[in-house]
Amino acid sequence: MADPVITTIEIILIIPVALILGVLFLFLFRKLNARFQWRVGPVIRMYSDLAPLIGKTRIWQPLYDILKLFGKDTIITDVAHRRLFMYSPYFSLLFAIAAAFFIPFPGMELLSSVPYSLVIASYLIISSILFTILGPVASGSPWGAIGARREVELFLVSELSFVLSIFSIALSSGTLVISEIADRGWSAPSILLSLTSGLLLFVAMLGKLHIKPFDMPEAEAEIVAGPYTEYSGKLLGIYFLSKTFLTYVLVALFIALILPPVSTSIFWLPAWAVAATALVFLLTVVQVLNPRYRINNALYWYVKVVIPVGLVSFIIAFFIRVVV
Amino acid sequence: MSIPAKILKQVLSRYSSPMTLKYPSGVDPSKKYSQIPEGLRGVPERDAEKCVGCRACFMVCSGRATRIIDLGDKRTISIFLFRCTYCAHCQESCPEEALKMTSKFEFTIGEREDKGAYVDTDLEMLRCKSCNTAFLPKKMEKRVFERLQEKMNPLVKEVVLSDYKKLEGYCPECRRARSTNFDTHTKKWLWLEVK
Amino acid sequence: MGIIDRARVYSPWLYHLHCGGCNGCDIETLAALAPRFDAERFGIQLVASPRHADILVTTGCVPKQFIPMVKRVYEQVPEPKVVVAIGGCACGGSLFYEEEPENYAILGSPDLMIPVDVYVPGCAPKPEQIINGIVQGILKLAAKGSSRKRREV
Repeated sequence: MADPVITTIEIILIIPVALILGVLFLFLFRKLNARFQWRVGPVIRMYSDLAPLIGKTRIWQPLYDILKLFGKDTIITDVAHRRLFMYSPYFSLLFAIAAAFFIPFPGMELLSSVPYSLVIASYLIISSILFTILGPVASGSPWGAIGARREVELFLVSELSFVLSIFSIALSSGTLVISEIADRGWSAPSILLSLTSGLLLFVAMLGKLHIKPFDMPEAEAEIVAGPYTEYSGKLLGIYFLSKTFLTYVLVALFIALILPPVSTSIFWLPAWAVAATALVFLLTVVQVLNPRYRINNALYWYVKVVIPVGLVSFIIAFFIRVVV
Repeated sequence: MSIPAKILKQVLSRYSSPMTLKYPSGVDPSKKYSQIPEGLRGVPERDAEKCVGCRACFMVCSGRATRIIDLGDKRTISIFLFRCTYCAHCQESCPEEALKMTSKFEFTIGEREDKGAYVDTDLEMLRCKSCNTAFLPKKMEKRVFERLQEKMNPLVKEVVLSDYKKLEGYCPECRRARSTNFDTHTKKWLWLEVK
Repeated sequence: MGIIDRARVYSPWLYHLHCGGCNGCDIETLAALAPRFDAERFGIQLVASPRHADILVTTGCVPKQFIPMVKRVYEQVPEPKVVVAIGGCACGGSLFYEEEPENYAILGSPDLMIPVDVYVPGCAPKPEQIINGIVQGILKLAAKGSSRKRREV
């Protein structure tokens, strides 16, 4: 394990880095989404005659959305379970930030070298999502309840995919420490493993980030705004903030686990950026090409795809562990 | 070119440039709007010189957007744009061609009482010689007289004009009340038939 | 201008409230948000819940049965908020509103029950005019200043 002072500095540094990268990923997601629909999306360089009125650039658009929500009234419903309703956004944010501590960033090892860091990180991601379910349940709104129920069902199946993916990789490299997994070597079967478990992790990301075929928890207009229906002002802003961090965490985790050794050294930073951009691009392609599934379709789809691929992935991992 | 190549070209051309207009940015005013189709009906505009205050637009307005407000010496003809549906009935019915639909559409208003929400024209009214009530815009009286002269049968012109001189400046009520006092040629239309 | 005040100008979220009327203005409102005019360039987004909205966009004249819903939706929008009335019906009642005799079903424009900040008259207004109206709304929103109260409903 590294020097505690350096680790502390890295932990303090990763919070703004994760926020900025999360905002940039969400911006890229929106921009690419717009371009696939033949429109401009949030503009990078504002038209010169409008710039004094509405700002020079909109690269920080997701951040502006969050900041704006901090300057608005917060409405709390009478029927809500007050404490749970008010604190679950904060817990969600807390766990999302904590998860970022356990995932290596190029040049920053952080806490990824502590024992069982993979398990800790996956639990933190799960807890963060859990609190996005608990808050809406406490809001007492029927739309929130429907959204939360869908979220739970989706969460269960996407978790299956997530767990199968990360533990097949852990099995193949014989360790539960992310920094060791991220530093493993390449061989012909491990490329195959990266493909299968990468697919699984990608599918899990779709479910966790609510990307189009699996955005039924917050199905707009269908169930109002799903889990976030009753949230407003600061609490909603904190939920969006936690989603920003979660986006960063999942992208970083994907790169750390599937593409070693990209997140080990600072010299890999350009490769990391390219990989992250490519990942966001792939997420956008999936988002724009797909309609929204019904929740039962999504469940069947996950089970139909995830279990066979997961089995193949485990067989390859076992093969690598035993034979190679 | 084969069909897949055509499809590919189409797709690429779509993706290469977004179809979004620059709209609120007006760097190049000619490209500011999507398109202003020919005959787009926007805000109606009234030529204050031509309008005589005949109420034709008020009679046909289906949205009750046009209102006539008579206040002493002043008649105000106003179109309340909040209620106007730009149907152009008033343009069609205007005998003086004073009303015209412009293609102006880009306007928003902050308050109900804002002047921009009304298309107003003020007209001076004529007062009756005997009872002193305002009953007709001066311009309309003049215009009616002109039209009368234009369209009149030359055979009866002299008689009618002499009658008109006697009735001039009285409101309809006073004319009715004094109809016996005026020495007018009541049978002039019969003459026309005889001749 | 503080960063939060600026952020409010940069990301106005709309909630579209259809009160009644013929649907023409709704089609034009959606056209203003569609790729041709792409309001997302300026951060304008359509949201599904009035709790998330900054700008309440109303179209159509209000039928008498719909009055409580209009008031309720207005109350649900957190401060600072702006109401933009789109179309002749939402501005002055247009063809459906009669002063004398009173219409048995329709009350008239929404400004009889909620304060309207910007009127966008027209039947129906062009998408450009709607964007113009929303921009006026944003400017009014910027002038209102932020509010961080906690409200219980």
